[in-house]
Amino acid sequence: MTGEALLQAYFSTPGNWDEMVQDGGFRPEYRHVAETLRHLQIESLHQKDKLASDLFMNQGITFTVYSDNAGIERIFPFDIIPRIIKAAEWDHIEAGIRQRLKALNLFLKDIYSDQQILKDQVVPSELIASCPQYTREVHGIKVAHDIFVHIAGIDLIRGADGQFYVLEDNLRTPSGVSYMLENREVTKRLFPDLLSANKVRMVSNYPLLLHQNLISLATRQIAQPVVVILTPGIFNSAYYEHTFLARQMGIPLVEGRDLMVDNHKVYMKTTQGLQQVDVIYRRIDDEFLDPLVFRADSALGVPGLMSAYRKGNVVLVNAVGNGVADDKAIYAYVPAMIKYYLNEEAILPNVPTYHMHEKDAFHHVFENISSMVLKRTNQSGGYGMLMGHKAEQEEIEDFRQQVTEDPRNFIAQPIIRLSTVPCFLDGGFKSRHVDLRPFALCGPDGIQIVPGGLTRVALKEGSLVVNSSQGGGSKDTWIVDN
Amino acid sequence: MLSRIADSLYWLDRYMERTDGVLRILRTEYVLSLDKGNNSMPSWRPVLKTFTQADEGQMATLEFDTAKSLQFIIADAENTNSLRALLTRARENARGAQDHITKEVWEQVNHVYHTVINPVIEEKLKGHEALALLDSMTEMVTLYKGVTGSTMPRSMGWNFMNLGKYIERAMITLEVTNRYFNEINFNLQDTKDILYWRQLLLSLSGYELHLKTYRNTQYTLNVAEQVFFNRQFTRSIRYSLDKIGHYLDDVIDMNNPAEKELLKREFGRLRCKIKYADLDQIKQQSPEKFIADIRLNLLQFNKLLTQVFFSYA
Repeated sequence: MTGEALLQAYFSTPGNWDEMVQDGGFRPEYRHVAETLRHLQIESLHQKDKLASDLFMNQGITFTVYSDNAGIERIFPFDIIPRIIKAAEWDHIEAGIRQRLKALNLFLKDIYSDQQILKDQVVPSELIASCPQYTREVHGIKVAHDIFVHIAGIDLIRGADGQFYVLEDNLRTPSGVSYMLENREVTKRLFPDLLSANKVRMVSNYPLLLHQNLISLATRQIAQPVVVILTPGIFNSAYYEHTFLARQMGIPLVEGRDLMVDNHKVYMKTTQGLQQVDVIYRRIDDEFLDPLVFRADSALGVPGLMSAYRKGNVVLVNAVGNGVADDKAIYAYVPAMIKYYLNEEAILPNVPTYHMHEKDAFHHVFENISSMVLKRTNQSGGYGMLMGHKAEQEEIEDFRQQVTEDPRNFIAQPIIRLSTVPCFLDGGFKSRHVDLRPFALCGPDGIQIVPGGLTRVALKEGSLVVNSSQGGGSKDTWIVDN
Repeated sequence: MLSRIADSLYWLDRYMERTDGVLRILRTEYVLSLDKGNNSMPSWRPVLKTFTQADEGQMATLEFDTAKSLQFIIADAENTNSLRALLTRARENARGAQDHITKEVWEQVNHVYHTVINPVIEEKLKGHEALALLDSMTEMVTLYKGVTGSTMPRSMGWNFMNLGKYIERAMITLEVTNRYFNEINFNLQDTKDILYWRQLLLSLSGYELHLKTYRNTQYTLNVAEQVFFNRQFTRSIRYSLDKIGHYLDDVIDMNNPAEKELLKREFGRLRCKIKYADLDQIKQQSPEKFIADIRLNLLQFNKLLTQVFFSYA
């Protein structure tokens, strides 16, 4: 059997935007891929699938899932068929993300200094006052080049109308970039000719761009500033990514216990003695950074780090306190921020969001719960969510109770039917929902976004939750010129 | 290089060397336990005593049960010094220093680790597959050494790995030798035959060399000569110290620590004790004192080395 038969059998669920199929035919950007798939024997698809998972396993590209207190190493499931986006659409996405990050950086600068946006009542003060991620400790700290968000992962989804929406901003420690890069390397092994025939834009320079950006942030005027990655350690679920980035950039991967602070300067302990550190790309959450300022029981951080940060002797990437800007309740105000700071309309729209502390919203949401998703404002990774269309009455009541008790902690959004793509599963092409996380870098020289990003797939049939911790997988993402 | 990385690499090789040493000893004891003769091993007690922290009660239940002793020393999850525990720690060290070892080294550590944590080995140790298992594990550890030697860059990491390896090796040789000399009350005039000493020599992979090198029948003296002074014997104290000296010079050159003179003196004192000693001295001093002395000096040197290069915690 060849791919032809499988392609014929592929149809997308009505009411969805399918990335490959349109009106019974293929979208033009998919024509090369469809042509290749059509002529491939099904055995060879199986072979490619097996080769891909072997490559991931042998390289130890795994993440750790914690259940029953025992960490299990798994590979992140990878689907061999690429997800393709047209250059014109990408230009739109890129412009939208650029604009959004510009506004978010201005917002963070404002909120930790004059708070003009609160005084002008564009964002309600009580929302900031009640946000646990608002970090009083960094109020008034001047950060290098006024950049708070250096590395961002903006989660986009495509709705039934074919439009891209911003679902979430990740401005703290977005992960997944190593999968974006590894997915491309694996695809090079699977479909070398297709990549060149489609003129797919390159992503592999990401580590170089990141490295340049990190170096350019250093405040000491020296030829070779010391840049390090700070990891929580080998038991962290994203440890693979930390080692990957350290290797790709050729910089040390340090743990909290490798660093110390003396006279408001950060040093790493080497066999040659102490060496001053200029820039720390930290993959540790704010609350664990410095036991003297945040959680006193944190063994992951460095005592005194915040004092060095406050003095400007060390640059932390991303800045401390960014959580206030990617809080799910504050997310709803990003278009207003764009208007306020840039006097522009948002290029990429938000998903409509209801604040549960507003009475009307509360009633509206629970009256239409079957088409709503309820989310906790401070959780991510697909945890703490209620998908209304699949929930049991009991779960809904449970959530209603929780929302009533602490409405600020919840938002609701209408469920959006994410666009679908074909996945090679169980010997056939199956339609599955996807999102897209492009990775953006903000440095002193502007904002750079490598063309593509991580496409995450909900591998369970009909599921709209793409998080890796909830059974999601990923795909290589191609940006192709028209 | 980060102190933590240096520390991890040092311990990675120490744990791998210890695993190697224990496996060799287990194999020898296991094979000899099958022979019924004057020198056959009556009990696993000495091995348990050297390489585990089994209490008296455990020792009593284990010592005459070969399968249980092997299981305890190799795969017991409760035994904090089992090979399983050693290899788990080796792997953790490798993982923490993953960007400083080659992919091949990492994969080999991973491979041994997955073998030792596999529950099937308990069954294997009970039956006729025990010897095959010991052999295959020894082979994996030997492969680790080969892969390390053929893929690791000769940079600072390599030097710290080797320091760990040879310090551990010297320790094992001292422990095992001490045990066999203890058995004869450290009396160099004792006339134990070669069958007795063969166990020690096989445990240190030095039996063939012994047969080729020593022709007279003063076995006790010959063995002492071989384990302490023989430069061709890769598990002699002399050989290990020569290697430590070589790698120590390299790490001192590369790092130029403030305490370098102190470190050199400490090591020099230790090395002299072997380099300028001979059997006559051991005879005068008694082997017990001689071994204890070397051991103490080695520990002191190791402590200083650790302080100078790894003090990060």
